[in-house]
Amino acid sequence: MDVYEVFVKKDGRDEFRHVGALEAATDELALVLAREGYVRRAEGDRLWVVRRDHVIVADDGFVAPNADKPHRHHDGAAVAARRRAAREAPE
Amino acid sequence: MSDRSGIREFLLAFADDEHLMGQQHTEWIGVAPFLEEDLAFSSIGQDELGHAALLYELVLELDGIEPTDAAVDQLAFRRSSRDYRSCHLVEYTTGGWAEALVRHWIYDTFEELRWEQVSDSAMPRLASITRRARREEAFHRRHADALLDKLLAAPEARSRITDALQTIAHLVPGLCEATAGEASAIAAGVTAGPTAKLFEPLARAIEERFSPSVGVGTDETGRFVTSATAGLTTTDQDQRTRRSDWFEPLMARMREVLDYDPAAVW
Repeated sequence: MDVYEVFVKKDGRDEFRHVGALEAATDELALVLAREGYVRRAEGDRLWVVRRDHVIVADDGFVAPNADKPHRHHDGAAVAARRRAAREAPE
Repeated sequence: MSDRSGIREFLLAFADDEHLMGQQHTEWIGVAPFLEEDLAFSSIGQDELGHAALLYELVLELDGIEPTDAAVDQLAFRRSSRDYRSCHLVEYTTGGWAEALVRHWIYDTFEELRWEQVSDSAMPRLASITRRARREEAFHRRHADALLDKLLAAPEARSRITDALQTIAHLVPGLCEATAGEASAIAAGVTAGPTAKLFEPLARAIEERFSPSVGVGTDETGRFVTSATAGLTTTDQDQRTRRSDWFEPLMARMREVLDYDPAAVW
C-alpha cells in the first residue's frame, strides 16, 4: 500500500487545499477511496491525489535562514520598528 | 393483478433490493479490511439506502399515502416478512469480505442494467430518480472494479475471490427474477422490459470479469454457469415471494434501534 496525499478544490476561486491522506494499493483505488472519504459531502468539486513519495521534500533547515528577514514582509511594520529603535537608541 | 398493484410490486422489489443491499454494505463500517475501505463501502451503502427511500416514496404515492419519514420507515421496516419482495442475494449473510466484495460487484453491475431499463419510464418521477441513481452507480462499479483489478492479480486473494464467487453464484439468477406484478409495469411503460432479460448480459459480464481466474463459463444458451449454478434457471426459484433463512436475523439487526422506542421522533 502507498500513502497518498489528498487535495480538494472548492467551487470558485479557492485554491487546492490539502485535506488529509489515505493508504491505497493503486492510483485508481486512491481516487475512488478519496472520493468516498474526502468529498462524499461534496466538500469540493475537484480532487487531486498525489503519492506521498512523489512529493519532493526539502531538508530540515532548508527554510530556516529566511525566518529573520522582516524586509521581505509586505506590511513594513517590522522594518519600521527597527528604524524607530535605531532612531531612539542613544548615540 | 391490477395495473396499480402490479406496478407497486415491481417498484417494491426494486426498493427492497436497494434497502437490504444498502444495509448489508453499511454493516462494514468499522470492520472492513482497512479504514479507507470501511468508509468507502459504507458510503456506497448509504447511496443505495437513498435510492431505496426514493423508491419507497413512489410506492407510498401509489398507495395514496403521503410519503413522510414515518411512512417510509413503516414501509421499510415494519411490514410483515411475506410482504417483502427482495431477492435472496441481498438477504444473504456473507461469510466475509471476499463474498461481500463479489456481491457488491455483481449487484452494482446488475443495477446498471436495471436502472437503464427504467431510464425512459412512463412514470416521470421514476425517470428522474434514475438519472440521479445512474450518476452514483457508475462510481460504485468503479470502486468494486478497482479492488478486483488489484486482488485478482494476487494469488491468495484470487483464490479467496474464486471461492466467494462459487459460494454465492447460486443466488445470482434470483437477482434477475421478476415479481408477478412486473407484467403490469411493462404494459404501463414503467419499465422497458423483463428483469429476467438482464440475466444474460449480467452472466456475460461476470464471465468477463472473473473467468480468467475463476473458470466460470456459459452453457449452450449463453447462461452463466459455475459448478454452483449449473441446473438453475432464472425462473424456477420463486425467491421474491418467500424469504430466505437470512432474512429474519437481518431484519432484527435493522430494527434493533427502532425497537428500543418505536415512537421516538428523530
